Amino acid sequence: MDNPAISPKVSDQELINSLHGVDIDRRKGEEELFTRFSYFIREGGQKYSLPKEDSFNAYADAVLSVIEKIKDGSFRGLSSVKTYLYQVFHNKCVDILRKKTTNKQTVHQTAPLSEWTSQFSDTTKSIIQKLIEKTDFDLLKQKMSELSDNCRQVLLLWADGFSDKAIAAQLAYKTADVVKTSRLRCLDKLRQLYKQF
Amino acid sequence: MENADYIESYFNNGLSVGEKEQFEQKIITDAAFAEEVAFYCSAWQTAKNELAEEKKKRFAQIYQQNIAIQKPGVTIKLWKYATAAAVVAALIFGSYLYIKPVSPKQLADQYIQQHLQSLSITMSSQENSIQDGLNLYNEGKLQQALQQFEKIISADTSSFNAKKYAGIVSLQMKQYDKALSYFTQLENYPNLYSNPAKLLKAITLMERNSTDDAEQAKALLHQVMQNNLEGKETAEQWLKKW
Repeated sequence: MDNPAISPKVSDQELINSLHGVDIDRRKGEEELFTRFSYFIREGGQKYSLPKEDSFNAYADAVLSVIEKIKDGSFRGLSSVKTYLYQVFHNKCVDILRKKTTNKQTVHQTAPLSEWTSQFSDTTKSIIQKLIEKTDFDLLKQKMSELSDNCRQVLLLWADGFSDKAIAAQLAYKTADVVKTSRLRCLDKLRQLYKQF
Repeated sequence: MENADYIESYFNNGLSVGEKEQFEQKIITDAAFAEEVAFYCSAWQTAKNELAEEKKKRFAQIYQQNIAIQKPGVTIKLWKYATAAAVVAALIFGSYLYIKPVSPKQLADQYIQQHLQSLSITMSSQENSIQDGLNLYNEGKLQQALQQFEKIISADTSSFNAKKYAGIVSLQMKQYDKALSYFTQLENYPNLYSNPAKLLKAITLMERNSTDDAEQAKALLHQVMQNNLEGKETAEQWLKKW
């Protein structure tokens, strides 16, 4: 349908600005970034002899990783977005190759929890990390799918870093406070579902 | 979660230095509270992973749609010709728009011609049956393509893609009521990161062009715009010309 055209006129800075935006602007920025360098997928397939699906996954993961780095300010613009993305993509391809050669299966988590736990002192960090390690993420994922559509949508937007105000605008809630109340109720509901097991 | 608000205040830097120390002390001394904090983090992580999956699905759709023009060898050779052809086409199309008002049906015709005449094949090996349907569609075997997609739907009633393609084939076969039925079903997938249901429904109504269809289509296009749904740019352009 409406794919963002590959637009050479959009500078790195404009792209970065759009990824910091809210609502449709950010989504368009994400799609623009994905589309602009999607020829890496073909190159990755040739250079690393990866099947197309693996090369696509490496590239999509790399794009998502770069989006996160741009959003949280880790990308400081010391190289172009293209160079940065290519480096991340290269690393993802190498990871896949390593996994294939060593036959090791690792849990593929796209967003480390460190951005949360880094706020803690060492003692509390250790306690929380141990508790998180005990979490059955497959079960939690399953329980999340059992939530109402609205709940799930609100939680996904929350995880995407949207403010309650932005979520209210997107999902036609009256106010940010209503979103916050709903979101916390959804978390509570999720916890109840999870704790039943 | 009794302490959810409190936990959020901590992570959102809404607590003073002293309050933060109290918060961390509570984690050390209150096991139930620590478990609640850990759950908050795990829930966020789970939602984040789900979100990544949704985005990757969207990227896959975009990649499939663009795959034909992602072949550098062909693209580079044809680039100049394609640009020239596009400029000429744009001039002709622009002058046509300037001279003559465009009806909703004409807009829908143009969209179908440009976007739905052929559909990109899927990448995933797990969706061979969908790929078969798309191959039939691209070969112009619409009836067989529809049968293929309906077969998939009967085996898996939750298949979003099969319903979308069944709707598009029905639209091409001018079976508008059937197309509308499929696109209405697609609307019930609100959690998708990207869902073209409302735009496709509007196009079908614009094509059918019966009493009140244009008005209903217009209302749908407004919804696409207001809710930032897939096809927002198209809806915006059309509503300006309406």
